[in-house]
Amino acid sequence: MRTLGRSFQNLKRVIGLDNLAEDYKYARGESTGYTSAKKIPDHWVATTCGYCSVGCGIEIGVKDGRAVASRPLASHPVNRGKLCPKGLSEHYTIGAENRAKVPLLRKSGKLQRVSWDEALETMVDRFRKVQAKYGPESLGVLSTGQLVTEEFYTLGKLVQLAFGTNNYDGNTTLCMATAVSGYKLSFGSDGPPGNYEDLERADVVLLIGANLAENHPILCQYLEANPGKTLIVADPRVTKTAMMADLHLPLKPRSDLALINGISHILIRYNLIDRDFIDKHTTGFDELSNFLAAYTPEKVAGITGLSQDIIFKAALLYGRAKAGFIGWTMGVNHSTIGTATVNAICNLALLTGQIGRPGAAPFSITGQCNAMGSREASFTSSMPGYRKFEDPGDRAELAELLQIDEARLPRKRGLAYPDIIEATVAKKIRALWIVATNPLVSYPNQGLLRHGLSNLDFLVVQDGYHPTPTTELADLVLPAAMWGEKEGTYTNSERRVSKVNKAVTPPGEARADFDIFLAVAEKLGCRDSLFRGWTRPEDAFNEWRRISRGRLCDYSGIGYELLASHGAVQWPLPEGAAPEPASRLYADGKFKTPDGKAKLICADWTPFPEQPGGDFPFVLNTGRTVEHWHTRTKTREVPILERLSPRAWLEINPRDAKRLGLRSHDAVDVISRRGRTRGIELRLTEITAPGQVFMPFHFFETNVNEVTQSAFDPVSREPNYKQCAVRVELSNPNRGERRSHR
Amino acid sequence: MYLERIDGLTTLPLMDSPLLYTAPAAPSVRGLVQIETSPRELIPSRPLAEGEQYRFHFDMTKCIGCRCCVVACNEQNGNPAELNWRRVGEVEGGYYPHTQRHYLSMGCNHCLEPSCLIGCPVEAYTKDPVTGVVVHSAEACIGCQYCTWNCSYGVPQYNPERGVVGKCDMCHNRLSDGMSPACVAACPEGAIAIEIVNVADWRRDYLAANAPGLPSADDSISTTRVTLPESLVPDLGRVDTNRVAPEHPHWPLVFMLVLTQLCVGAFVALWLMSFNGAGANLKIAALASLTLAGLSLGASTMHLGRPIHAWRAMRGLRRSWLSREVLTLSLFAGAAGMFAAVLFLGLPGRFAAGLATAIAGLAGITCSACIYIVRARPAWFSGYTVAEFFSTALLLGPAFVRALDQKAPSALLLVSVAGGVAQLIVQSGKFLWLSRSESFELRSSSLLLAGRLRTLFVTRLAILIAAGIVAPMTAVSPWTIRGAFVAAIAGELLGRYLFFVSVVPKNVAAAFASGGRKAA
Repeated sequence: MRTLGRSFQNLKRVIGLDNLAEDYKYARGESTGYTSAKKIPDHWVATTCGYCSVGCGIEIGVKDGRAVASRPLASHPVNRGKLCPKGLSEHYTIGAENRAKVPLLRKSGKLQRVSWDEALETMVDRFRKVQAKYGPESLGVLSTGQLVTEEFYTLGKLVQLAFGTNNYDGNTTLCMATAVSGYKLSFGSDGPPGNYEDLERADVVLLIGANLAENHPILCQYLEANPGKTLIVADPRVTKTAMMADLHLPLKPRSDLALINGISHILIRYNLIDRDFIDKHTTGFDELSNFLAAYTPEKVAGITGLSQDIIFKAALLYGRAKAGFIGWTMGVNHSTIGTATVNAICNLALLTGQIGRPGAAPFSITGQCNAMGSREASFTSSMPGYRKFEDPGDRAELAELLQIDEARLPRKRGLAYPDIIEATVAKKIRALWIVATNPLVSYPNQGLLRHGLSNLDFLVVQDGYHPTPTTELADLVLPAAMWGEKEGTYTNSERRVSKVNKAVTPPGEARADFDIFLAVAEKLGCRDSLFRGWTRPEDAFNEWRRISRGRLCDYSGIGYELLASHGAVQWPLPEGAAPEPASRLYADGKFKTPDGKAKLICADWTPFPEQPGGDFPFVLNTGRTVEHWHTRTKTREVPILERLSPRAWLEINPRDAKRLGLRSHDAVDVISRRGRTRGIELRLTEITAPGQVFMPFHFFETNVNEVTQSAFDPVSREPNYKQCAVRVELSNPNRGERRSHR
Repeated sequence: MYLERIDGLTTLPLMDSPLLYTAPAAPSVRGLVQIETSPRELIPSRPLAEGEQYRFHFDMTKCIGCRCCVVACNEQNGNPAELNWRRVGEVEGGYYPHTQRHYLSMGCNHCLEPSCLIGCPVEAYTKDPVTGVVVHSAEACIGCQYCTWNCSYGVPQYNPERGVVGKCDMCHNRLSDGMSPACVAACPEGAIAIEIVNVADWRRDYLAANAPGLPSADDSISTTRVTLPESLVPDLGRVDTNRVAPEHPHWPLVFMLVLTQLCVGAFVALWLMSFNGAGANLKIAALASLTLAGLSLGASTMHLGRPIHAWRAMRGLRRSWLSREVLTLSLFAGAAGMFAAVLFLGLPGRFAAGLATAIAGLAGITCSACIYIVRARPAWFSGYTVAEFFSTALLLGPAFVRALDQKAPSALLLVSVAGGVAQLIVQSGKFLWLSRSESFELRSSSLLLAGRLRTLFVTRLAILIAAGIVAPMTAVSPWTIRGAFVAAIAGELLGRYLFFVSVVPKNVAAAFASGGRKAA
């Protein structure tokens, strides 16, 4: 009967009696105004966007228990009633077909459905066996910047104190670890000093390797609201952001450190520095001054490919600024001299006293929605609350707060992300737990990663989606609830803590990561000792508030009630203090070093490791597009984003293409010493300089990380994604037929 | 509770309210993306006066190409991802590092002379007398897609799921509630706004409707005002010009056009032959032609998204060539039926019936051709289209009669050969014209024919020469003549297929990689 009814409907549609008017009807919703009726929700749930670290307030529209709409949260201080295209369509990520719904265990080569109990029993059992056989450090954990702070805090305790391995790191090491390292060295602690409002209040904004228009479009509002500013953009590509600039510095790839040193050189030479600030609040000026003597405009012009004229112009603009803002992202961080470059940026701000005042900040714009929460609470590169593993005072204090024996705290940081992967290759890490990240897309030099993972005795992947390139390799897949399905907090780039709320129930048997961690603790038998009385994320948050009290990242004054009543607030917020609309670190000139003074650091420029030449004549640059998010695990589930950006492309300058006989839309391969990425659509464009090519990294089908290299910053361990030597060839030239994307 | 059903999309329920077009001081409702920092700057704050209409303003200096407007529009209208009533194109120019890249966000331009509206056979389009918004009714629409050929900006888009077209209506139902359109509200940069334009002033000077990446506003007098950056480089242009894909073939129309033209040619031949008193012998040919005409007209409704409503297609006679085609070809079919009956039954009035058939048929072919003479499809916008259609009639009609009736005068074959020669001249002339053109669309059509479609194009010409010109002059056996005729039909069908797929429409600049087509 139903089939008959459906056939009748189909017939009506084919002959045109029915034009699906019901599906496409409009209505006036109280909360939406006139709009597509199917998009009018029963109610809205206020939360925070789960993509990038801008940290926009967002509302999820729920209708019949399903997320049907997303809109900006009007009252949120960050996004001013706007969202980027990813945020506007974020509800599609939840209801996607590709969600992981049940635990899957590999039995005789195939992933098969198992109960949660069997899954966790197996996981703990296998981890314990590996640790018993190869030592506790043979277990590695790779987490993410996507979880809520409560989950980072919980996972950190679970891994470090219960599993007893410190080989635990986040994918944030692929992203902003360099900023963390740089801040720590220059200011004595991590923590971005400024805030978004500074973009609006600065009279000179210098963006280095930061393509805000593509990656943080919502922040462009702050620039737009500041018509009097001078915007300087240093980027080897003519990015969308470079098009917004008053002065674009089209420097050679990764010559930014030389440029910044050159600017500092000019400012010192012409006394455009703040001697008073330097004397009171910094150490190391004389050494730096001597060191920078070598960075003459002639030398810097040679390294950067910029004219001396334009270098002077940039230097004088910044040097004369009343409030100078320096923003950077991955152009700086994805580099083997990233930490040094961050130090040079901090030097420049310190030399000119451009810190701690409205509009004045050296500001790292972070990547993931809760990379900051992971920096502060996750127990990876430091102990919770920016405490140092090596500092006896920090250790004693934390042990006291956690009521544990200090000896249980690791003596030093464990292996960083890339070193964990190298250790899987060396078979020192034998079991791995990957949480909410997709390294089979994002990790450089994929060949090595695959080799390492194939060495593992047991691989657990906990993710919101299955299959992903990473879950496909897993021995155990744990289905996780994701954004919109769980509760907690995110902290954004400007240290603003926002509430994350549950709008709908997770699909199938998927569980919140928080619940999974507690269930693992239960299996390990440490739930009562480490997480006594915890049932919901707020319990973790309240402990985290206590742990962070008195630290630079002081959350003690931030409770769920305050977040509900007041909206998103910035740390530090000591208990009892009133939230400020825009807080800045180091306004008092006191830094987190032993002597309270910031360090001026001599940071030397060196060429990037794999220079172009011979068989590999091009410098390959990688980056993003506004429609996609990182590994595209989420955004490939959003039809409109896939429509707008369906596949990867390779940008090449038309002069190079002509020499190689390549045409627009040709399918080409990119080849490095490590691998080959096939069938990429070629785009001839003057956006990219001759001698360079550019490719987005989101697409596993054409993964640029097949060719990127294993080269890492010595301090932060962040990969040098942005430059490697490649050549470009037509795909399948032997077939005689030119493949094309036309 | 809040679900207030709005019947029909063209109605403005609050139209009679005097306060209709004033923004309330504090809107009490917000939309999916309807939270604004400064609504007053982005939508008009005063009512429209006489002689004014709403229009879009797009500020190219502000747009950062984030495509929020596209996503917001799709959400607002509940459209599937494949349909984008608002699109963002890219233009690029200059040389590194002095490269310029800009974006062009376009919905409907709510033109003063909307070509979609003029072409629509069912009057599904209305230009709102108060707001000037060009509104399309999904209820009235029969899915003929003629508007999608008529618009130089590619604004109306066919939704195969629904069988009807849809387009941007400036969210006029939101505007009337004092709320911004979805795209306006979603734009983080405030690059899109609604403003008021004086229609007469704009008609005098609409230069600001032109921009790099946009077809000329001359076609339909677009009302969208574009603010361009200062000192644009001269070579600033579209980035999608190397990605020209063949258009939809519209198979039902391929058959309909070729077969109706064949029938018209056949009936004109029959009528002329009937002067010789060859009446009795023509019965079979007349019946066959009539059947073919009926079949092809019937089949043409398969092209519609809503064939059951085909009868509505004569509503737009005042303006639409499609309505006129439907009328003239229906008259032709009717007259041909009468003529066939007269022939068959030996009744008087043979001359008059034949004359009526011929006139209606020739008018039908003319109307058919006029449908395709649209500015938005430059390769069709020429006399070649008329010539091509008539050449088909001349080539196939007489040959059909001769193929069915061996006793018919062999002069018919000579006429057919003349048709073949005419078609060859038309095809070669058109190709030369296309390939020598400076315009992107015409050049691209020729590049399609010489590139991706080359085999088909060469085959089409070869069939035309062999079956349309050489064979009729040399063949003697009836079966060779019939074989040549069948081949000639195939050739014309192939030609008409190429006519549809090789046209490169005018459109707004697209992004470099858009569309969702799979990678090679």
